[in-house]
Amino acid sequence: MDLLRNPVPCLLAIPAAAAVVVALLGPRRAPAVRGVSLAATLAALALAAVLAASFAGTRTSGPAPATATFHPDFTTRCPILKVGAGTEETIQFYVGLDGLNVWLVVLTAVLMVSGVLVSWTAIQDRVHEYYAWLLALETGMLGVFLAFDIILFYVFFELTLVPLFFLIGIWGGPQRRYAARKFFIYTLAGSLITFLGVLGVVLACYAKTGELTFAIPKLTDIVHSRLAMDSPEERAFWIGTPSFGKIIRSALGLLSLEEAAGMWGGVEFWVFLALTAGFAIKVPLVPLHTWLPLAHVEAPTAGSVLLAGVLLKIGTYGFLRLCLPLAPDASLSLGMPLIGTLAVIGIVYGALCALAQDDIKKLVAYSSVSHLGFCMLGMFALNVVGLSGSLLQMINHGLSTGALFLLVGMLYERYHTRLLADYGGMAARLKVLSFFMVFFCLSSIGIPGLNGFVGEVLVLMGIFDFERAHGTWPVLAVIGATGIVLGAWYLLTMLMGVFFGPLKEPPPPVGHDNHHAVTDLNLREWAALVPIAALCIALGLYPQPVLDTARPELEMVAGFAHDAQDRADLPSPEGNLQILNPKGEGTP
Amino acid sequence: MSEEIIRALVNVFPQVIPVMVLGVFACVLFLGSTFRADRHIWAGVALVGLAGAAVALVWMVPTVPLKRDPNYASPIAMDRLALLIHWMALVGGSVLVLFSWNEVPDRQAGEYHGCLLLVVAGLCLTSAANELVTLFLSLELISIPTYILMYLPRHDAAAQEAAMKYFLLSIFSSALLLFGFSYLYGLGGTTNLPALLEALTRNDTSLPVVALVSLILVVAGFGFKITAVPFHFYAPDVYQGAPTGAVALLAFLPKVAGFVALFRVLGLVFTESPGNGMGLGDHVSILFWILAAVTMSLGNVLALLQTNVKRLLAYSSVAHAGYMLIGLAVAEPLHKSQILSPQSELLNPRFAGVDAVLFYLVAYGAMTIGAFAVLAYLSTAERPIENEDDLSGLSQSHPGVALLMALFLFSLIGIPLTAGFAGKLVLFLDAMAVEGDNAHLFRGLALVGVINAAIGAWYYLRILTKMYLHSSIKPIEKPRALPGLLALWICAAVTLGLGVFPGLMLRSPELPLGAKPATSQMKTSGRPDPPKTAPPWRAAVSATTSVIA
Repeated sequence: MDLLRNPVPCLLAIPAAAAVVVALLGPRRAPAVRGVSLAATLAALALAAVLAASFAGTRTSGPAPATATFHPDFTTRCPILKVGAGTEETIQFYVGLDGLNVWLVVLTAVLMVSGVLVSWTAIQDRVHEYYAWLLALETGMLGVFLAFDIILFYVFFELTLVPLFFLIGIWGGPQRRYAARKFFIYTLAGSLITFLGVLGVVLACYAKTGELTFAIPKLTDIVHSRLAMDSPEERAFWIGTPSFGKIIRSALGLLSLEEAAGMWGGVEFWVFLALTAGFAIKVPLVPLHTWLPLAHVEAPTAGSVLLAGVLLKIGTYGFLRLCLPLAPDASLSLGMPLIGTLAVIGIVYGALCALAQDDIKKLVAYSSVSHLGFCMLGMFALNVVGLSGSLLQMINHGLSTGALFLLVGMLYERYHTRLLADYGGMAARLKVLSFFMVFFCLSSIGIPGLNGFVGEVLVLMGIFDFERAHGTWPVLAVIGATGIVLGAWYLLTMLMGVFFGPLKEPPPPVGHDNHHAVTDLNLREWAALVPIAALCIALGLYPQPVLDTARPELEMVAGFAHDAQDRADLPSPEGNLQILNPKGEGTP
Repeated sequence: MSEEIIRALVNVFPQVIPVMVLGVFACVLFLGSTFRADRHIWAGVALVGLAGAAVALVWMVPTVPLKRDPNYASPIAMDRLALLIHWMALVGGSVLVLFSWNEVPDRQAGEYHGCLLLVVAGLCLTSAANELVTLFLSLELISIPTYILMYLPRHDAAAQEAAMKYFLLSIFSSALLLFGFSYLYGLGGTTNLPALLEALTRNDTSLPVVALVSLILVVAGFGFKITAVPFHFYAPDVYQGAPTGAVALLAFLPKVAGFVALFRVLGLVFTESPGNGMGLGDHVSILFWILAAVTMSLGNVLALLQTNVKRLLAYSSVAHAGYMLIGLAVAEPLHKSQILSPQSELLNPRFAGVDAVLFYLVAYGAMTIGAFAVLAYLSTAERPIENEDDLSGLSQSHPGVALLMALFLFSLIGIPLTAGFAGKLVLFLDAMAVEGDNAHLFRGLALVGVINAAIGAWYYLRILTKMYLHSSIKPIEKPRALPGLLALWICAAVTLGLGVFPGLMLRSPELPLGAKPATSQMKTSGRPDPPKTAPPWRAAVSATTSVIA
């Protein structure tokens, strides 16, 4: 009964149960395995859609009150591990929906269906294991988005690694073993440091209030109420920046204890760095991106789709859900200088790398680096416009890049090569596939009327706002905008080379005289692509529902940043740095 | 002799009944095996012996007091910590019997299982030892049968070398330990542990340098048992050379003994002189800090270089000892940051760090014995599992066993839903929770810990890669061995059970909570800091909260 009223745990239980069923079906019943997987993902999609619709309904019915913390709906809480004496002091199974995660959940469910469909004939080996891992991956991904307990979040965050390790390692390309291990170690190393950050937040809140809690809304609340007191002690505890000169001198014994006080700085600085370590690898931000092209290229098609479409979003979502609310001052002081710079470098570097690739899949992989840089840039503008754009970019990138990977996989299934040089004029041969390819490339570039445009415009507006507010030249915004141009360049070059011009089919496989039966998209492939295309158009024409649902949370996060800005300005009240409107205005 | 002392001595006997049961069964095994050579019979008898000891233990439980006053008279004192270790020893012993059921040849089965029971008995005694000499003797009761165990099932040169190496180094460490004990006796004038600790901590002046020397000697002696770094040299060679069953035993039981003995001698778990140990101040925690950091780093880095699975697991066990040493390093500073609070009594914070180590020991035992059990299960005389390549394609030939091995490996990495993750969670939580001037040191230690966990993941993943991502070079023919499989399943159940429901062991006690600061009042008044209370998870994390006191 309870589950009927509140079906969020079902969203996790459906794929998890299906994974077990599929694994038990065994290797000889491949059709049944595929059927069960499709049914489960469709069921999860239906449930996610219903939940999202009803959630959006509650949001549009009235003006959402201004809040100081997250207020998830459709929550389920049950204690897992009691760590304290109080009733609340437990690590909980705490899941729910709010404006930040609801659309990402839908995105995951949509891409999963496409992932199952596109693997239908591509995977012939160890089919039951494949689908079991795929469904386990869905459970993990949905879990990360739905979790409102910080330890539960981390548990799901790490659990996504295991299925993907096997998916890449068993069903991937020639370098799959290396790719799988590199991906796993890279992400694990980062996430372990994130783990320390998570513990650090919990313990800092405990040290200050005597309340031991793992619930993200509660932690957010504590951080904010403590910061709002604005006493010197609180400032020193949370905000202080570490002085590395002092640390070195005190290590050498040159400082007395009193002089060394406060040399380690505030909690936020370290928490921000620790959380960033894991999330920045997942996003990935530029110097930490080297696992990504390899993993994307080697993964089977469904793996690439989910990796690009959903798993990278876990990183950005982590920033949005944990980093910004729990370390607002550090996000402000370190955000643009550190993350913003890296993001901008990523935009340009990723685009240039994409331009240089000779492999279509690698090209799309590097385009992810570029697009995600865009997403991070918008987020750290820390105003509502930028955050909305960033959230929208997460969804957009998931849809368009996910679809591009689907199409590349379909092309590969027909010709068994991904080299740009092998193709030419395919539009004459594969009309529908080419149509979709052009469509999703345009969506990725950001043609008005399609989804990419809205997100990009919002991000750029957010950045301009931020730079205007800080009285700096709009350097970041301009460089970011070049990324769009570069994006058009490499994608259109690819389109021209592969789909237009004189027809050039790849050489037939060894031992065959010609490609027999290379046909255009079949019904199954249509079914994998059409929903994504429909969502692209819908978001391009009418993004307001998404923005409206997420608005209260985004306003809250932006409000935190605003408060942080006020605190940062406080010591120098005579400074003439005028905050124009850090909250931003309006959305299209 | 006063009446009281006599009563205390008389009361010792009921407390050692489980140990006596084990001893009697060991004698039966030694004698019986001269008449009959059959591994099934003797393994069965050994299991019955362990079950008998368990029954005796259950029967004895009501007499173990929840809260114990320091016992100045008897050489043996049962408390909740000892009870927990008894159970760990008995369950671990049973798994090891099942594990080596078919590995041991018929002719040696009796002696093998007899020695195993003696090791278990030695561990039980160690956990309850209340006096230096008893402690030393019970540690020897673990060591001496181990020499035989390592030598018994195999007679090739490698096994002989392993046994000899272990023997010599073990004697050496015992000598160090005794030397350290003699200094302690000289300082305190008694061998009774509570009395000794009281004597050492009585005056406020800091202890003489000799105390530090004795501490280092004692830690060196126990360091051999727990394979802490400068004393780990025997591990890889011995693990590689010795029979798998003996290696699994070596990786678990002596390590538990080493840690328990450290708790006892350093005075980390005594009721009346809680946690302040030998009164050596920061020295103890700094010593363990260094030991922990070096042990886990070296263990992990050297494990990276191994291709022999048993050598790899040897270094991995060194690395895990390093993680556990974190718990010892933070025990004293954690305690110190709690003792300032007047309410700490209510929240039972005495066992800071120690309970995390105990939880990790159980998790470590399950996953390491499990991994060795997989190797033993798959090994045959013609085709021993030696190198990583021997495990290639396991997921195809033995999907079930491969899945269990994957579980153990993921647990060793520390992936959520396994006991390894829960263990790391409590250890790192403790390390991060230290407050005071040295807080950053211990946060740094946690950072060293997680970096090591990431390094460790690489070599565990290498095995996983072989099992799942490679096809078999030379397929493993399927041996059928029910006992081995049973051992595997027990280990898997513990690994998964403690991973999903860590609360099974980390149970929160129902404690009064009068000490909680009034948060609402604090918020309005803007008072900077609430009074420090002992972190509530301390109470909870105590595996042992109910166990030790």
